[in-house]
Amino acid sequence: MIVRIKAFARFREIIGSENTLDLDEGTPVLGALKNLSAGSKDFRDACFDREGTIASHVVLMINGKRISGRDRESMVLHDGDELAIFPPVAGG
Amino acid sequence: MIRLQQDDFNVTTLVEAAKSRETGAIVTFIGIVRDDGIECMELEAYHEVAERELAVIRDEAMKEFPLHSVDIIHRTGPLRVGDNIVLIVVSAGHRKEAFLGCEYIIDRLKQTVPIWKKEYLKDSSRWVGGEERHGHS
Repeated sequence: MIVRIKAFARFREIIGSENTLDLDEGTPVLGALKNLSAGSKDFRDACFDREGTIASHVVLMINGKRISGRDRESMVLHDGDELAIFPPVAGG
Repeated sequence: MIRLQQDDFNVTTLVEAAKSRETGAIVTFIGIVRDDGIECMELEAYHEVAERELAVIRDEAMKEFPLHSVDIIHRTGPLRVGDNIVLIVVSAGHRKEAFLGCEYIIDRLKQTVPIWKKEYLKDSSRWVGGEERHGHS
């Protein structure tokens, strides 16, 4: 399945604004982010804490909707999904 | 009007457009690039989501307070000290709800709308930390 990754702010600076991942059906959010981490230590350091879980300050959206809570890592992605990753917002 | 744009906005035009015979108060908020020792800043947005979330905040404000109209324009791209960043125009029958509505909108905007600022200093740069709540909620 194809999942589009959109990155903003310092995450964009590390992996670029848009990536396309070809993942196995049923891959969770954690799997997609680990896939991206495999190619970039900087991304891994920015995205994960020392325990290997997604750092609490990292904001994630699937198809424009925030995903939060302890189960966000295990949320399953589907073909055509857009997963966005960014730091806390700072508009205004 | 809800819009993200690179160009500056005309405050007077938007204030005039917000007036109606029932209008008793218009409150505007303008966010401006402050000189924190910076040369300039760059604003980045998740455009389609940011515009949608601004519309949600407008709808929340209009439900919470008796407002007549709400306009929100947020700029993106490169900005210099003194440049306008964001304009909120709130019209209502009375000042109290106009003030409360405007404050609600800018507070929510800073917490949730996916927009980021990168400040450029003379020899370095830094991302501005946000007011979004951290953690798993």
